[in-house]
Amino acid sequence: MRANEIKDLIIKGDAAGTAWGVEEMLAAGLAVDDIIQGILVSAMNVVGERFREGQIFVPEMLIAARAMKAGLKILEPLILQAGRKYLGKVVIGTVKGDLHDIGKNLVGTMLQGAGWDVVDLGVDVAPEKFLKAVKEQKPAAIGLSALLSTTMGSMKTVLGLLEQEGLRSQVKVLVGGAPVSEKYATEIGADGYAPDAGTAVHVFARYAS
Amino acid sequence: MNSKERLTRRLAGKPVDRAPNCNLIMAFAPLYIGKPQSQFYLDYKVLVESNLRVAKDFDLDILGAISDPFREVFDFGGKVEFPEDDIPLCSDNLLKSYEDLPKLQIFDPYRSTRMQDRIQGIELYKREAGSEYPIMGWVEAPFAEAVDLRGMNEIMLDVYDHPEKLHQLLEICLEAEIRSAVAQIKAGADLIGMGDAAASLLGPDLFGAFALPYEQRLIAAVHEAGALARLHICGNTTAILNLMKLSGADIIDVDWKVNFKLACETYRGYAAACGNFDPVAVVQQGTPARIREAVWKCLDAGDANTLIMAGCEIPLSTPHENLKAIAEALRDYPRY
Repeated sequence: MRANEIKDLIIKGDAAGTAWGVEEMLAAGLAVDDIIQGILVSAMNVVGERFREGQIFVPEMLIAARAMKAGLKILEPLILQAGRKYLGKVVIGTVKGDLHDIGKNLVGTMLQGAGWDVVDLGVDVAPEKFLKAVKEQKPAAIGLSALLSTTMGSMKTVLGLLEQEGLRSQVKVLVGGAPVSEKYATEIGADGYAPDAGTAVHVFARYAS
Repeated sequence: MNSKERLTRRLAGKPVDRAPNCNLIMAFAPLYIGKPQSQFYLDYKVLVESNLRVAKDFDLDILGAISDPFREVFDFGGKVEFPEDDIPLCSDNLLKSYEDLPKLQIFDPYRSTRMQDRIQGIELYKREAGSEYPIMGWVEAPFAEAVDLRGMNEIMLDVYDHPEKLHQLLEICLEAEIRSAVAQIKAGADLIGMGDAAASLLGPDLFGAFALPYEQRLIAAVHEAGALARLHICGNTTAILNLMKLSGADIIDVDWKVNFKLACETYRGYAAACGNFDPVAVVQQGTPARIREAVWKCLDAGDANTLIMAGCEIPLSTPHENLKAIAEALRDYPRY
């Protein structure tokens, strides 16, 4: 199987085919990093692009992300063995009072594929929990997600809390979600904004160590 | 001209004193009258009192029974939390596996808890202001209800992994929503709004397979019971505008990410478009001048039957002068 064929399997969301293809690549002697960057990440970049252009939609993004994860899973033991070098650590979560996680999960999967060490705090995450994670995990960046206009205010609370604790300069804060805009991100003092998961990967890339 | 006459005439494309103000009010209402959020979701008397106050003070033209997406989930037996002063949360999916599908019992709205509360709210609206205002009942559309019961990620994968099981679930949801809608119409609802937020995440093919046919059947049942139907799909629905017009809805809400002129043109001859300025950037954070500009832009883009609202719910912390500015912009529009 050729690299392009495996990329197509990921784009189509064929998890079993992707896993099989990755095993073949390994057997053929391709390096782990080359498989990740040249096939898995490259395929997800295409998926992100097609999503931004309105050629595919959320279910197609999800099955592609699942296929990519199936490929990553095959590589995991080798990654652990070799001690993978991450781009850095990212903490993500959906803010307090909000249980919507589809966008946040997609961002997590895409970041993971792109080479970030991702800590996912889940949904309905209190500002104090983000603060604790920044203290303990020392991430390069945190990503806050909200789908409701009633919950997006919590993003500002997180930023205020980081400021109050003197941690704001140590971590970049990115925000996203349906009601959130670039303007809102600027107003609350966030470092960045992404309208979708594909863009989030590009924005987070600025903060890679 | 009262609100009921205004909406009826506008939908028929007849002259009106001003376009109807059809904003969706939920969490804003209890805050406005100083009641805890939880009471709004659990006690129809608070829902009715707060919405009546908001409608009167800000010149809204529809009294809505919309509150949160979890009335049906609760009555199906799901676990919903009601924080004292926050919106309801449903953190545990009731239908974790399709093996449990046979256990999912369709509730009787008259013997349920939360749908029964909504029905009582409509009866109270009818008594208090039924001759003056159109009363809008609310249900989840079947696809949205399936998501509420099973989880967003799960349903988004089910469309590929378990399409037949998903259709079985959708049939159950449809039946529950039809019963709930008909009960609300019998209680006095003039129109039934239905939310299908999750459907905006689907492309045209999947929307046509899993959302639209069930919306059509629900709307047909609403019409048969003698009420109008309003379809509300939050999010960017540009890719499915052409399909949404086939739903049969009399009013189709248009969220702010959609080009309103395109939506009005698409729905012409099918439904009244209702929209569509940005609820956060314009209504919550904008100035009265910016709001006037946004409202007039929508009216300029529309037809004689176009209705006006922010693309989605009026945010909780919207300044009162901004909500007043919507009403003033509608009143002062010079080109009706």
